[in-house]
Amino acid sequence: MGQLLSGLWHAARAAGGAAYGIIAGVRPSLSQRAATPTTSEKVAHAPPPPPSCNHVSPRANPVAASTSSMSSQPQSTQGPAPSAAPPASTSTPATSTSTSTSNSASTSTKPPKQPSSKQPAKPKDNAAAASAADGALTPAELKKKAKAEKAARRARERAEREAPAGNAGGAAPGTPSAKKGAAGSGGAGGKDAAATPGQQQKGQKQAPRRGSAQLTGAAEVKKKQEDKNVAVFGHLYGQQRRTTVAGAGKEVHPAVLALGLQMRDYVVCGSSARCVATLLAFKRVIEAYTTPLGTSLARHLTTHLSHQITYLSTCRPLSISQGNAIRALKLAISSIDPSVPEADAKAELSDFIDSFIREKITVADQVIAGSAAQKIQDGDVIVTFAGSSIVKQTLLTAHKQGKKFRVSIIDSRPLFEGKNLARTLANAGLDVQYSLMNGISHAIKDATKVFLGAHAMTSNGRLYSRVGTALVAMSAKERAGGVEVPVIVCCETVKFTDRVALDSIVVNEIADADELVIADPVQQLTGLPDPAAPAATELKKGKAAPPPVEPSTAAQKVPSPLTDWKGSANLQLLNIMYDVTPAEYVDMVVTEMGSLPPSAVPIVHRMSTNL
Amino acid sequence: MAAPTSGSATAAKPFDIVATYNELLRSDPDLTMPIAAIEALVLLLTHSPSSTISETLDLLEKSTAHLKQSIPNPIGLSAGTDLFQRYLITTLQRPGQLGPAGDFNAIRAHLLSNGRLFIRRAKESRDKIAAFGRGFVRDGSTVLTNGGSRVVASLLQKAADEKGGPSAVRFRVIYVLSSAKGSVDNSGEPEGMETVRALRAKGVPVATIPESAVAYAMGKADIVIVGAEGVVENGGIVSRMGTYQIGLLAKAMDKPFYCVAESHKFVRIYPLGQYDLPIEQRVIDFKTEEEVADEAKQQQEVTPVVRPVNSADSSDVVDFTPPHLISALITDSGVLTPSAVSEELIKIWF
Repeated sequence: MGQLLSGLWHAARAAGGAAYGIIAGVRPSLSQRAATPTTSEKVAHAPPPPPSCNHVSPRANPVAASTSSMSSQPQSTQGPAPSAAPPASTSTPATSTSTSTSNSASTSTKPPKQPSSKQPAKPKDNAAAASAADGALTPAELKKKAKAEKAARRARERAEREAPAGNAGGAAPGTPSAKKGAAGSGGAGGKDAAATPGQQQKGQKQAPRRGSAQLTGAAEVKKKQEDKNVAVFGHLYGQQRRTTVAGAGKEVHPAVLALGLQMRDYVVCGSSARCVATLLAFKRVIEAYTTPLGTSLARHLTTHLSHQITYLSTCRPLSISQGNAIRALKLAISSIDPSVPEADAKAELSDFIDSFIREKITVADQVIAGSAAQKIQDGDVIVTFAGSSIVKQTLLTAHKQGKKFRVSIIDSRPLFEGKNLARTLANAGLDVQYSLMNGISHAIKDATKVFLGAHAMTSNGRLYSRVGTALVAMSAKERAGGVEVPVIVCCETVKFTDRVALDSIVVNEIADADELVIADPVQQLTGLPDPAAPAATELKKGKAAPPPVEPSTAAQKVPSPLTDWKGSANLQLLNIMYDVTPAEYVDMVVTEMGSLPPSAVPIVHRMSTNL
Repeated sequence: MAAPTSGSATAAKPFDIVATYNELLRSDPDLTMPIAAIEALVLLLTHSPSSTISETLDLLEKSTAHLKQSIPNPIGLSAGTDLFQRYLITTLQRPGQLGPAGDFNAIRAHLLSNGRLFIRRAKESRDKIAAFGRGFVRDGSTVLTNGGSRVVASLLQKAADEKGGPSAVRFRVIYVLSSAKGSVDNSGEPEGMETVRALRAKGVPVATIPESAVAYAMGKADIVIVGAEGVVENGGIVSRMGTYQIGLLAKAMDKPFYCVAESHKFVRIYPLGQYDLPIEQRVIDFKTEEEVADEAKQQQEVTPVVRPVNSADSSDVVDFTPPHLISALITDSGVLTPSAVSEELIKIWF
């Protein structure tokens, strides 16, 4: 009981929205520790700021720091070659500025101890000096300048690194990746022409700069070379998730832009939720769409939609249900008769989306909840993993039917999806026990049934779901002694796929490994501040921690040992999102078309897609 | 809830579905429960003067509920009623003359004639199964079987017929006879004795063993063939008590375990285990001496041990054999793996 209560308490505290106000003040050190690793990491990570950053204007300074901290993450994970990319592209338009700054840099590096004391007093002078040197600069130009400067520094570091190996190969990696840098650094015109002068310049700069670079650079370069991708999952590290809406195509509808970020931040999380949200966003896209002259709606709208889809998939890889829904929508679009007036066609598509959501998800969920609830009997102890919405609905339905049963929720880091479920169920009056994955053997001990949600069901009957699901299913089946515990999966047929999964390695999704470092669930709610966030942003801005964040500074003294994982050698973090449960561990799949054994998944999928 | 309404509905007419059903089962020993149920429903439709589709469906639904409630073990029965109901609905939904727009009398006549056709086909399916299944009985093999399944009996007899000729390939049968006292039929001998006699008459050597000797005898058997009362959605079978343990023993000794069942016995239920069947069986009945004494006082006869078995006619007590114990299901639509059952069921239902 004690465990039950404390579990609930935690769940209620951490679960979300309404609790924020209360939590912010009294939150235990857990959350503060969550805040500090990020910030301290960012600070530690923002590439060697001291010498060169000092004499850029203070307005440019945070920009440089933050952009570099953002961009350095993908670069460091992608290995040495791309990390050299921005320099080649950005240094070119601003060659003049970079030379001027490099001059001043060399002057400032001569008194190396000075910066720390100089910083609070001097920024005004520096800004004045900088602007005096370059004339009146607009903020954009300042930004550019900061970038150029950073680029120059990078190039220098790279040159330094390559120097022992021989200067010949230096130019090669820069040019191909220049295109990549172009997206971020708006003004990168004439890359090819400028690439060579940039290189020459770098060569010249190398000599005077060597001293300062060696101070910070040499050690860091070594670290960056190390591959932070877990080798077995190497093929899954595609592009990093999009960090901003910048660079998104102009065709992308604002609703889709917002949705992309929400999905990235797990605000919209869960297969069904993402599917519904995507369809609703696409409905708005279609409403706002007008067919350009010279094309027909059936032909052009699909390409228009694929821009949205591409954007969404850069925010987070699309789920199976999203893919199925999109496929159905595209089919509906392409089957529209070109002679139908545009308004009618759009109305037709809106109706299609509405009925798709209703049939495949809303009503399907009700049917599933109804038939799965029949399997719950008085006295049952239901074990569930993480926070499946359909399982929640099932348990609430059974509870409404007056059945007396207990629920044991098993949860895991880093998303803690079970917390919301625990709170909802407890509020509804169910008996809930909340424990983490570590306590699985205890939780499974008195279980009578296991209910699981699904991300997808593959054609060989395997369950593809949140990582940890397989562990729960297997412990239920392999429970030592006594009767096996039936494992029941609740899954809409829209989540069925004709793909086949043999293991969790070939197909999977890798999330940002930094989520593992943070002790708290990632809740950078877009707009809605996380209790940990204020501290984080303030520290990021470089201000001294103000009085209210005092506890956080205390916690900062004991940062997570993993905080600087990217910098430490021989350390790789893996944050995998899904796993595959073999069909033998699943007794029953409850769908809106009835209860099936896992082997019937391909049949039902075939039927539901042919209809 | 359904019982009183259906009671009044059927009481108004002279037709009694439960009595008809029981009468059908009694009069024709070859009739299976689902077919008897379908036949009873067809008879009901012929007797009832319903004039609209919804009235027909309503009547059907009420009578089915009533029938299910009055029979202690409605699993096999519900396969038939569900199938018939499904068949009616799909017929009525079909566009054309027989659809909702058509003349109801024509629809009714069509339904009745098709219903009879359905029954005839179902009866024929037993021969079909025997044809599919006789290949499984190999020369010199020993077959272990149990219960009073008519399909198993016809399969074995068919195999014996084939092999009774001059170039005879022979097989032996180990027949597990139920030891429970309730399972004696009218003549006072255990269920299945009739089959044993028929086989022996055809020259097949048959050994009869009690249920307690299954593990002992399993080593001598090559294959196990059992019948089923219902085949459920995950490919498991619901059949007479004792089949599950035979399945477990066969699995433990790596003997192939075949189940013989007509495809009209496929039921849309999905039991997760022994205690998840939609019927109530008081097989395990805990008692103290006090309670036994109380009951003995209430009823004069003192038979405490056998009583629970007797209360629900023991031939109706069933257990559930999970699909992983079954090697294959021999049905009239072919020899299926357990996982193919759901495909067949889905084909019927969608």
